[in-house]
Amino acid sequence: MSELPDLHKAMTEALPVYEAPASLQAWAREEAKKADQEASPARELPTAAPRARVRRFSDWRIAAGFLVAAVVGWGAASLRPIGGLTPATTATTNQLVDAHVRSLLPNHLLDVVSTDRHTVKPWFAGKTDIAPPVIDLTDKGFPLIGGRLDYVDGHSAAVLVYGRRLHTINVFVWRTGTSEPRDGSFEVRGHSLLHWSNGGLSYWAVSDAAEPELEAFKDAYTH
Amino acid sequence: MPYHADKAPEVRKLESPQAGRFERIVLPHLGAAFTLAMYLTRNTADAEDAVQEAVLRAVRYFPTLRDDDARAWFLTIVRRVCFTAYGTDHRGTDVISIDAAGPQLVDDREQPDAATSRLQVQQRVREAIDQLPPLLREAIVLRELQDFSYTEIATVTQVPVGTVMSRLSRARARLAGMLQDVVDFGDVA
Repeated sequence: MSELPDLHKAMTEALPVYEAPASLQAWAREEAKKADQEASPARELPTAAPRARVRRFSDWRIAAGFLVAAVVGWGAASLRPIGGLTPATTATTNQLVDAHVRSLLPNHLLDVVSTDRHTVKPWFAGKTDIAPPVIDLTDKGFPLIGGRLDYVDGHSAAVLVYGRRLHTINVFVWRTGTSEPRDGSFEVRGHSLLHWSNGGLSYWAVSDAAEPELEAFKDAYTH
Repeated sequence: MPYHADKAPEVRKLESPQAGRFERIVLPHLGAAFTLAMYLTRNTADAEDAVQEAVLRAVRYFPTLRDDDARAWFLTIVRRVCFTAYGTDHRGTDVISIDAAGPQLVDDREQPDAATSRLQVQQRVREAIDQLPPLLREAIVLRELQDFSYTEIATVTQVPVGTVMSRLSRARARLAGMLQDVVDFGDVA
């Protein structure tokens, strides 16, 4: 009797079967949700908006610029409250979720990688005119991962990135404007958003973690 | 009080019969897609790009998918992206090694020599697969690693089943030439 493995066994022992990276999975899930929402019996061939490609920075930045300009223009032109939620608020929350999902693509999450708040905070100085408090919340279950700059809804935003178990929390911070949505929690396409203002700064925490997790984060961050 | 943007009148989506279909039907095969892309492009960055592009195309072509095998359908797209956009050469015989072999569990009750030689065998199997031309490599990977049927491989690679069988047999013959002292090839060798 031969002791040698057959080809199937030899290959399954030697060769890895891969999982798609988590960031790719998150992006694909988002893309699928969007596609499924757009699909309707009346439309035979829904065309998906081309999405930013990994590492093709210049393409998506230009596209995102146009998109931001278009949406902001539209939001400003049609600013009126409907059932307590203005189109501008919807535009803001949608863009925040888009920015959050985009940040989960490979190499997009962080400009400065550090778990040390003394590294992250000075990094923002000189790059933006706002200085969000950078607080280490590791002992409360929200380890600091790093930070980056982003541009959302017509604002330059400082973004603090915290972890929550397997989830990522992006905290977008910008100077409070004249037409800020009121504080509160929102839910957009399966993502939770929590908005609060403090000391002239607007905070938006965005994550795919559940809404109570964001409330817990806010409590930890603001106390 | 929490306000849910999804429930606002102007953004609420009506549930249609299509609701959740792409996510339910195509997304479960993302891992299989990424695995095939890894074996075709042989680097993580290109594999990610290829799968991302494939998802976008799949969304576009999704209405044309009827009751077929969604996994084979999706991997057909992945494969086409790999071959056209990411420069995987149909005929190339380059021998760059796949870098990431998964963590191998070594049974510590084995003698060190036996464990070492097992790792050596695994290394040789990886190198042998790497040396196969892409058309033979994809066939044998789909068959032995991803358990695709001949018919599914024919769908993915867009050739008749007879061609699939001939490619598999050529792949096995080549592997037998390289590995017959460590792998049992039955009567193929």
